[in-house]
Amino acid sequence: MTIAVPRMGNLSQIIRDVARRFDLETLETPPFSEQTMEIGSALAPEFACLPLKAVLGSFVQVLAMGADTLVTGGGHGPCRFGYYGEIQRRILEREGKQFRMVVLEPPSVSFKAFHDSLRSLLPRQRVRLPTLLNELSQTLSKVVVFDKLEKRALALRGLEAEPGAVDAALEEAQAIVAAAFTRKEIEMARLEAEARFRQVPIESGRPHLKVGLVGEIFVVLEPFFNFDIDRWLGRRGVVVERSVNIADTAYPMGRNPVFGYTERAVARAADPYLSHEVGGDGLLTVGASVIFARRGFDAIVHFLPFTCMPEVIAKGVLGRVSSELGIPVLSLSIDEQTGRAGVQTRLEALVDLAWSNRKKGAARLHAVLS
Amino acid sequence: MRVGVPRAMLFHHYGEHWLHFLEKLGVEAVVSEATTGSMITNGAVHADNETCLPVKVFSGHMLWLKERVDVVLVPRVISEQYGTLACPKFMGLPDLARTLDPDLPPILSPRIHLGDRRYLWAREWYGVARALGGTRLGSATAVAGLLYGLEKHRVQAVARPPEEGMRIGVAGHLYNVHDSRVSLGLLDRVRGMGAAPVTVDQVLPSRARTQAATLSRKIFWGYESRLAGAVLHWSRTRSVSGILFVTSFACGPGSMVGALLEDQLAREGSVPLMTITLDEHAAEAGLVTRLEAFTDMLKRSSRAAGGRLAPSGAPGRAG
Repeated sequence: MTIAVPRMGNLSQIIRDVARRFDLETLETPPFSEQTMEIGSALAPEFACLPLKAVLGSFVQVLAMGADTLVTGGGHGPCRFGYYGEIQRRILEREGKQFRMVVLEPPSVSFKAFHDSLRSLLPRQRVRLPTLLNELSQTLSKVVVFDKLEKRALALRGLEAEPGAVDAALEEAQAIVAAAFTRKEIEMARLEAEARFRQVPIESGRPHLKVGLVGEIFVVLEPFFNFDIDRWLGRRGVVVERSVNIADTAYPMGRNPVFGYTERAVARAADPYLSHEVGGDGLLTVGASVIFARRGFDAIVHFLPFTCMPEVIAKGVLGRVSSELGIPVLSLSIDEQTGRAGVQTRLEALVDLAWSNRKKGAARLHAVLS
Repeated sequence: MRVGVPRAMLFHHYGEHWLHFLEKLGVEAVVSEATTGSMITNGAVHADNETCLPVKVFSGHMLWLKERVDVVLVPRVISEQYGTLACPKFMGLPDLARTLDPDLPPILSPRIHLGDRRYLWAREWYGVARALGGTRLGSATAVAGLLYGLEKHRVQAVARPPEEGMRIGVAGHLYNVHDSRVSLGLLDRVRGMGAAPVTVDQVLPSRARTQAATLSRKIFWGYESRLAGAVLHWSRTRSVSGILFVTSFACGPGSMVGALLEDQLAREGSVPLMTITLDEHAAEAGLVTRLEAFTDMLKRSSRAAGGRLAPSGAPGRAG
């Protein structure tokens, strides 16, 4: 049994960790490319959203490479993601592919369904439940460390004294953490990785912009679809903070350890603009934007896949957030035809606008003080 | 006080119960006019450009009500059946409505959450009733009446007099199918071609639920689950000659359920299925041509099958 899991941000690192813990044979899905999107868009329903097409394309590629078990996430709505697995299975079967599709239900929907689908992937059937849970919780703590490292890199990239220093540190830090497996090792690796980050030369006095990155998790985390926004903004001296992380999505009880605001705090912040859960990351997008605006960020960049239901609602609502809290918001809707140049022109305009707002604000402050 | 109710979206499901509720409270209800072309244009200009057609139509109705009422009732529908959820657009609809125009009258948004068996959401309706000036007893009666109506709506099918001719199942959201401007008079056009349209609300919900339960993965959207169940019921009992799947541009659940039904019906060897996608630029000529082709195909195949009502064998797919 060769297992393949779709790619998304740090997910492949996590899969490697799980595979090592349970002796699974996994096959890494190839990075997203033009070709992946072509295959995916040709097979998928016309109005399906971008992640479905991208994942479908990479499933076709990985099946050709020899995988026979496809794993994807489930859910009970109202976001379309919960139905992806079923539609993709039907499409691939129609194409005459031989495979098994395992839909991992999130434990919050039904622990039994989660447990059953997970068990069906484990070759060693004699793993006892407490062992299984213990291993998974260790993986989860590793995911938190991975995402915190990335958060650190996003905050530092705009201030690095020499270009590429943060990326080099991040790569080394990730390698250190990837080699840790027990709780103690993970904690040691975390300290070591943080020490590695302290060596990065920083110009802390440099004037910089602060930009909040919000939106749908897949397009926010996958550099192929957001045109590597993290590094693009970093090169322009922008400090970035983002609302969505794999660790926060997987962490129980809505505690959001990486983002730092609990689900309840996010819902409270969003309440004047969006007062009900709308599925996916919609409420988080609105709540995080309000939190960023209150913390004095200069701008917000919102990424969404074209026609994504929760994010389209968030996009509509963000207009009101922007005008009432006085923060520029740029919503970028991504589909298979989005061009790099168009996105970057708009991002450049946003950065210029934020700088000119900053200068105007400084001038006003000067006028008040003198 | 004049309470506005937009004639769009779930008004086509629950409107009569909402109006009944307002009537019991003794407030004047103003329902927006039937959809017009200028309403759609106005809504499309003010609403977010990526939302689906029904939300744009809804926005047009909201703007029509703006000058005419003191307060607008936009219930927030969370679920329509036990164990399902509504489309996210229904959940965020009052919030989307508030972003349309800063000068809109205040919006009342009590929840409807039929999947919640404890009925805690009924309190919000009581609050609304009190805010609209109902007495305690009057408000309680109005809420009880509303709950009774919604519950009845959940389990009953709509009865319409049977029509002459070959039966065609029209599977689509009621706010698209029953709005003759949005659907470009689809039902009447089908009638004009000598066929009798049957809609999803005419299928008994329990029957649809049984059929939907046979799918390999449960559909978690309430109305889509009923729609898929109805389509499977029509196709498996051969009670229609063909099925029109009507969806609107950028409809999220529609894109998934459409793909699912196409695949499922192709596997089962069912009656022909044609998908029609509506948007604000839809032209009548295109629709008429496709409908004519579809009905002609159905008539010819039923004649070829020796006058049997429904053709069997491999499904034909147009469009």
